[in-house]
Amino acid sequence: MTASSDGFFGQYGGKYVTEVLRRPLDELQASFDFYMKDAAFLEELHVIQRDYIGRETPLCFAPRATELLGGAPIYIKLEGLANTGAHKINNAIGQCLLAKKMGKTRIIAETGAGQHGLATAAACAKLGLSCTVYMGEIDVRRQQPNVAAMELYGAKVQPVTSGSRTLKDAVNEAMRDWAANFEDTHYVLGSALGPAPFPDMVREFQAVIGKEVEKQCAERNIEIGAMVACVGGGSNSIGFFSPFLEKKEIRLVGAEAGGIGPGKGENASRMCGTAARDGILQGYKSRFLLDEDGQALPTRSISAGLDYCGIGPQLAALGRAGRIEFTSILDREALEAVSFFAKNEGILFALESAHAGAAAMKLAKEVPSGKAIIINMSGRGDKDVFITSPVFRPEAWGQFLRSEIERLDSNKDIHETTVLGGCLK
Amino acid sequence: MTEKIKLMSHLVAGYPTDDLAFRAAQALVSGGTSILEIQLPFSDPSADGPLIQTACTQVLARGYKVADGLAFISKIRKEFPHVTIYLMSYGSLIYTPGVANFCKKAAAAGVNGMIIPDLPFDHDEGLTENCRKNGMVNIPVAAPSMAEKRLDKLANAGFPYIYAALRTGITGRQTAISGSTLSFLEKVKSGGSKVYGGFGIYNGEQARSLASAVEAVVAGSVFVKIIAQNQNNPELMEKELTEKARELSNS
Repeated sequence: MTASSDGFFGQYGGKYVTEVLRRPLDELQASFDFYMKDAAFLEELHVIQRDYIGRETPLCFAPRATELLGGAPIYIKLEGLANTGAHKINNAIGQCLLAKKMGKTRIIAETGAGQHGLATAAACAKLGLSCTVYMGEIDVRRQQPNVAAMELYGAKVQPVTSGSRTLKDAVNEAMRDWAANFEDTHYVLGSALGPAPFPDMVREFQAVIGKEVEKQCAERNIEIGAMVACVGGGSNSIGFFSPFLEKKEIRLVGAEAGGIGPGKGENASRMCGTAARDGILQGYKSRFLLDEDGQALPTRSISAGLDYCGIGPQLAALGRAGRIEFTSILDREALEAVSFFAKNEGILFALESAHAGAAAMKLAKEVPSGKAIIINMSGRGDKDVFITSPVFRPEAWGQFLRSEIERLDSNKDIHETTVLGGCLK
Repeated sequence: MTEKIKLMSHLVAGYPTDDLAFRAAQALVSGGTSILEIQLPFSDPSADGPLIQTACTQVLARGYKVADGLAFISKIRKEFPHVTIYLMSYGSLIYTPGVANFCKKAAAAGVNGMIIPDLPFDHDEGLTENCRKNGMVNIPVAAPSMAEKRLDKLANAGFPYIYAALRTGITGRQTAISGSTLSFLEKVKSGGSKVYGGFGIYNGEQARSLASAVEAVVAGSVFVKIIAQNQNNPELMEKELTEKARELSNS
């Protein structure tokens, strides 16, 4: 199940959209199929990947983590070192370049954590396209640094106030925009989900991660025992796993958001637990957190990027078939992993990716010795400072924010502001 | 033209309350509505604009279930035995409980047909078949942007009725009825299906220019807007709904 068959991955996938969206999807499919065989397009993409994204990203051995966890050697794929701070740029650049070839001048995108929005905004600035990013109002609040950066790249960030005001609602809003404007607009979906051809297209643009891991491991004689990635919609994981799907001796592990517990509305676990069911939502059939009527259930996670009620159809199919294992990581465990890898390896995981880090910490002793665990650090944690600071240094953070507001209100230069004293250690 | 126009009027089940929604249905029927299109509120109505979206969110916030929506339809069926009732919603609400199961319940509530725009006519999870088994029709939705070949396939797929969305985009914005609208309608009808035409119908002039090309004119957001604006004044809401329905149905 390395690619879809007519848009389906076994029982999941499809193109469950209104007829209005059918034409742009069919045209996108045709262009994608054409350009992925076009040498000039692939060369242009390759040069941007090398010079702008900064590929290849390192595969870094984690010696202290390996020693402290007392099991398999741990390697971290530093995908967060890609320009704009996460793997999302791989897909954003790929789709924006494709859109440009298709003659589109305007790009729209949805974003949860803001990483995909940020990547799309940057890709549009790089390629000279106009950009509007839909972002749930709640996510706008919890990911302010990314909002600020998107605006710097010249994108318009449109807060979405409908529904649950998170990622799912941003997708709906982007779909509505696309339905009205597809003649000049391309919708850059950021995850490996939605109607066909998005799951195939996003996987192909993200597969560069897995292909590099394959090459890096071959060059350094690293024998892989297990690969671990976080799974929201699933773009980093499917790209990371993609070249290894047929290599059955390698364990592939997806870490879902366990939120604050197993109860309804407390997490975003679609493959673990008993809350999810088969459903059709946002243009595709997959596993979703739905109530008995089919209404989307609220989700919860400290990580905005994993806070979504569905999962990409290929991952769902591979999970049901037993090829990919899923595990659920609590908010608390993700925070512990952020701290663990920051202190011991000098690597700051994004909260999303820290779910993979936490899963690897649990897995370390299960993998036969001599075989490596590869963690995909899909993004780095700079953007999470507003979420991690209140947890790790609440007092100093509160004091900083209050003094900063005071400074802004009184229009003072930073050098003239109140002395905070010795508390900001 | 002085002839009465067949009008399909849309309303959201349970919006803003069960009682007011029922009074709205009564007002629409007394204004000359022949067909009621009743939307079951869904959490992610991606083909709808802000008006209908907000209405759905508001109803769901009360803990409204599909069973409540079907009970609402049953009540309307009893009150108006001769009005045609179509149920409009999204695939998730049909697929999750099982398409066969859902269709059985809908038919029992008095539904005559289903409009589910995100279940494609050529991949409908058994909707058409289960509608037929239960004495209902599946009414697929066509759009003017459809590729020639696909529109041809739909027009010749043997559906008794097709709902033609008169422009691209989402519900709620006004649509100009132009020559290209009429030629689109001709194509939709080319296989012998009867056509309902709507999306952005706000006034009698639009309805009259459309009337001869369709089986019925469909209006939705215009009514939802009246209901939203007059939630606190039910008498005025009823009056305005009836007047608007009269204007659109030319009666």
